[in-house]
Amino acid sequence: MIDLLKIEWLKIKSYTGFILLASFFALGVVASNLIVFVFKREVIDKVKGSQLLFSGSPFDFDMVWKTVSYYSSFFLMLPALLLVILMSNEFTFKTHRQNVIDGWSRFEFLKVKIGMALVFALGSTIVVILTALVFGATSGSSFSVSGIENIGYFFLKAITYNMVAILISLLTKRSGVAIAVFFIYTIFENGISLLLFFLAIKLKKDSQLDFGNLGNYLPMNASDGLLTSPFEQFSGITKSFLPSDFNWIVLAFALVYLILFYVWSKRKMLTSDL
Amino acid sequence: MAILSINNLSKNYKTIRALDNVSFAVPPKTVFGILGPNGSGKTTLLGIIMDVIKATGGTYEWTGERLPAHDVRKKIGTLLETPNFYHYLSGEKNLKIAARIKRRGEADIEKVLKTVNLYERRTSKFSTYSLGMKQRLAIASALLGDPEILVFDEPTNGLDPAGIAEIRELIKELNRNGKTIIMASHILDEVEKVCTHVAIIQKGVLKTVGSVNELMNTAASNNNTSFLIEISAADNRELKNILMQINGVVSVTEGENELQIICTENITGEYINRYCFEKGMVLNKLNVKQKSLETRFLEITGKQSDK
Repeated sequence: MIDLLKIEWLKIKSYTGFILLASFFALGVVASNLIVFVFKREVIDKVKGSQLLFSGSPFDFDMVWKTVSYYSSFFLMLPALLLVILMSNEFTFKTHRQNVIDGWSRFEFLKVKIGMALVFALGSTIVVILTALVFGATSGSSFSVSGIENIGYFFLKAITYNMVAILISLLTKRSGVAIAVFFIYTIFENGISLLLFFLAIKLKKDSQLDFGNLGNYLPMNASDGLLTSPFEQFSGITKSFLPSDFNWIVLAFALVYLILFYVWSKRKMLTSDL
Repeated sequence: MAILSINNLSKNYKTIRALDNVSFAVPPKTVFGILGPNGSGKTTLLGIIMDVIKATGGTYEWTGERLPAHDVRKKIGTLLETPNFYHYLSGEKNLKIAARIKRRGEADIEKVLKTVNLYERRTSKFSTYSLGMKQRLAIASALLGDPEILVFDEPTNGLDPAGIAEIRELIKELNRNGKTIIMASHILDEVEKVCTHVAIIQKGVLKTVGSVNELMNTAASNNNTSFLIEISAADNRELKNILMQINGVVSVTEGENELQIICTENITGEYINRYCFEKGMVLNKLNVKQKSLETRFLEITGKQSDK
């Protein structure tokens, strides 16, 4: 696998798209958290009575893991987009065929792309960990690993997005179409997820049936649902109306979806004409 | 023993039968041409043996190799259809990727770039290459690691006349060095000049297979009029009378400044020359033309493109 990844690195290390999107991601993660950090300190903290709602900063340990993971996760579109572009480029320029002709098995081609998905997810997570450590240290609180599971949720979301990117690229094989499908599907699923969320509230209210947030059982929202806003305590008053958080079930859904993405991608790669 | 055995390979694209039960074997150390009109299934066939296209039926085997199929491919130099490279990387970096996949090391890169006259442009991006240069890079990539088997799909595509001659010479040279070359082409002249063996495919059906000489001889025995000789002397009218006396000359046609005679295969140019000389006729032209592969190809496939 390391050998395959080294070859993949030869392909992308001088690709402008890679350098740009990777930089945008790192910049986005730092900037978005900085905006929230400054906004909290300069605006929210100066509103009378805000201390009653927020005790401490969302950038204090333990909260910093949750805060940074949550805000950074909005930028996970970028590594996924990069993967879509890299995969689609292979299909557009037929280099995937050349790789196979030169001696990779079809599975090796898929394996290295999944390897890249993992490396990108790992890279994104490292950026988030470093950002969280810096913000945590600046907030003046003492270091704690409590809440660090949010970093795991971030990693899971990153993998999910990247695997969806691979699957869509394999199914569409064209750069423009793949990018459009990726964004349209994300928006579509979020819309459906919201409707299911309202349905879950209605079920709980009318029939006392609590299945959790049904919206979180969809492919991309499963990993998304585990990351929640640090300002969620605002909704504390209305919490009793909301469906419960069945995190283990959502996690199980997220993992099952990942397996399905893998199986579908493998089937497509191994059986179709390249 | 054959290098490659193809058994009843078939491929359907929805309702279209691109390959129909094609079987043949490629003998070692030959230049094996796969000849067919556009759209006859040549690239599909090569795509299947390179595992980029899945066959609907049938099998193929790289004989003598006990390795997994993808490891066998590492030992074969292939140019399939169009040159496929990373457009944002230089020619040299593209070859590095190919060499790493083939696990061949990078020592060969300089040599193969020089072989195809691309060494000076090795650091230019692939996207800046002309069609001919892209084709040359693809051939360079196929030559990496000095493979024993080479598969070329339309290798002279996009090359200028000098480039075409160079590549044809390169293929012959590779063959002289003991390599087996499997080459698809729709250019009859190319197959005739380069190949030792040929399989003719039309609309996915294998029409004939064998050595080029065998194919020509089949033509000869079928028609018994395999040779065309262009001949002339100071007095063509008298020459015609003399030629008509030769047993084996089927017809003599008067051209503008020459006579064209069609004769059976037992007649040689040397015999005609001596016969005429003995009859007191000195020839100023004697050109023995073998029945061309083109004529044979058209006999087999008809005159229409498959597209």
